[in-house]
Amino acid sequence: MSIACDTCVVRNRAICSVLDTDELVALNRIGRTRTISAGQTLMWEGEDSALVANVLDGVLKLSTGTEDGREQIVGIVYPADFIGRPFGARAQQTVTALTEARVCVFARGDFDAFAREHPALEHKLLQRTLTELDRARHWMLLLGRKSAMEKMASFLLEMSERLVQNGCTPDAGPLDRFALPFGRQQIADILGLTIETVSRLLTKLKNDGVIDLPSRREVTILQRDILRHRAG
Amino acid sequence: MWPYFPELLAVPVPRYTSYPTAAEFQDGFGDADGANALAQVRSSASLYIHIPYCEKICWYCGCNTGAAGRTSRLNAYLTALDAELELVAARLAAQGAQRDLARISFGGGSPNAITPLAFVRLLDRIVTAFGSILPHISVELDPRGFTSHWAGMLGSIGVAQVSFGVQTLADHVQARIGRVQPRATIAQGVEMLRAAAIPSINFDLMYGLPGQTLGDLIETLDGACAMRPERIALFGYAHVPDMFARQRRIDASDLPDAALRFQMAAEGNAFLLAAGYVPVGFDHFALPHDPLAKAATSGQLRRNFQGFTDDSADVLIGVGASAISIFPDILLQNEKNAGRYRMRVTGGQLASARGVRRDADDAIRAKIIEDILCLRASDLSRLDEWQALADALHPFVERGLAQLDGAVLSPTRDSAPYARGMAVLFDRHRRTSARQFSQAV
Repeated sequence: MSIACDTCVVRNRAICSVLDTDELVALNRIGRTRTISAGQTLMWEGEDSALVANVLDGVLKLSTGTEDGREQIVGIVYPADFIGRPFGARAQQTVTALTEARVCVFARGDFDAFAREHPALEHKLLQRTLTELDRARHWMLLLGRKSAMEKMASFLLEMSERLVQNGCTPDAGPLDRFALPFGRQQIADILGLTIETVSRLLTKLKNDGVIDLPSRREVTILQRDILRHRAG
Repeated sequence: MWPYFPELLAVPVPRYTSYPTAAEFQDGFGDADGANALAQVRSSASLYIHIPYCEKICWYCGCNTGAAGRTSRLNAYLTALDAELELVAARLAAQGAQRDLARISFGGGSPNAITPLAFVRLLDRIVTAFGSILPHISVELDPRGFTSHWAGMLGSIGVAQVSFGVQTLADHVQARIGRVQPRATIAQGVEMLRAAAIPSINFDLMYGLPGQTLGDLIETLDGACAMRPERIALFGYAHVPDMFARQRRIDASDLPDAALRFQMAAEGNAFLLAAGYVPVGFDHFALPHDPLAKAATSGQLRRNFQGFTDDSADVLIGVGASAISIFPDILLQNEKNAGRYRMRVTGGQLASARGVRRDADDAIRAKIIEDILCLRASDLSRLDEWQALADALHPFVERGLAQLDGAVLSPTRDSAPYARGMAVLFDRHRRTSARQFSQAV
């Protein structure tokens, strides 16, 4: 499937937004879109192929396997995010869809070469990669928090800030009400907690009046300051 | 001004960036030695990443470097670095060691021989592999080819410390050592770094360069101080063309002689102190508010392959071709040849190739030598033979270059140029070795 850039839902915010129509046509030739169902790990052709991708829709996780067989989540990406972190067989880093997702993928070598010829894109690529690095550090900080409550509270705050970018609207502050793209078990896996602990923490935050849980997937933040305080 | 005693400076001595020095490294170390050493790591470690490439190779340089040349060669090296980082992180993780890193330093060569994008990706790999949030990062830079994109990127990452290879501001001396970088280039680089809010900038400067006069040195120091770098390292140029073939391109006919070298070191020291810098060890200087100056005045200063540092970690893991790792009981150096290095790490093997083990006696000597070079008091009594060594120190003590109170050796304000000469007395490897080192000053 080819990429229809003119109908792209994230075109105003994606890395390629700096390109003009002719350049988009050229970029079109080296990329393709893929749809991935929830839980599916992207399997990239070619052992040494490193890919980069624009997320059009959905939420994905980046993870590595540790020596003792555990999974370490090293990032979560959302619509309009650019996955420029080196991944593929060589990097032992996998990208797995947490929800049904659509991505626009490029071979990294092709994308880098294209970027070298288009300084505006190259600069944007550097900026995006810096943003990814910042998020990765932020994520490590979140996972490194001492108590389970600190992790849970940080995670909810992160969700409320990142899910706001869904769609094509300009940034408008964090969401006070959002649907979690993950189930309890996935949250537990991401934070390195048990599902019982995740349920217990969410119930406690609800009972304390910090959040509300209108449905199984929905979260409403009632007292953001207290949630921040509990995030440590 | 420091008093000149040429008889105490006649014997070439090591710079003691480690003890035992790299001259004591032996072949025959390998993957298993690296793995064993990493298995012992319990505390937080620092990481040193070696980028052994430069845009241009300078004639004076004694580093293990090659010209950046083709992009494919750099990319192959970066892929190998990724592989080694994965191997090292996996070894640390397997031990359940605390993985977060104390510090990450990038040196070379010139880390800015790679693109800003490649640098960010390398950092990203470290974050991923070590689960580190990158608390303290330092980077060595070549002012030539340093761009605003590089400066902006360093600022975004929150780099704490950078070092500029300045060497000399005198045009005719720059030409003599094959490193032409107009003063404006350096000033622009500093401006870009300041705009990016980098809190600490170091200048590496040199004396004893071919054709360099005392006037040239003072003029360079004056120009450097005008840019107000937080740190200055003032090294004596070591002309050893037998060891570094590229130095054969340097016309050695008018290298400053020993007396002039001493005068340059002494006048340079006096100039920098008058300009408000605090002495840090025997050849570094820092403004009083800089962490390195604070480490020096509070007795926390350390010495390692990067010179003097305020990094308190006892383990430094070197990553990259020829990089040296420091563990309490072993020093290990990676394979120097970039091709063989790549083969090792992409084949899943740690790259350790040379090294030297350190026993309890070495540890005591290493501490005393570090104390002496850091210009602080040292208790010699843990060495059985300390009284014999106290006698050997007599020529220094009687000239007021050190004080000895029982077994406690203390520096005086004139110790710096003689520190290496005193340190060598505690080096059990130097008594029999006739190996040549650079002049002490």
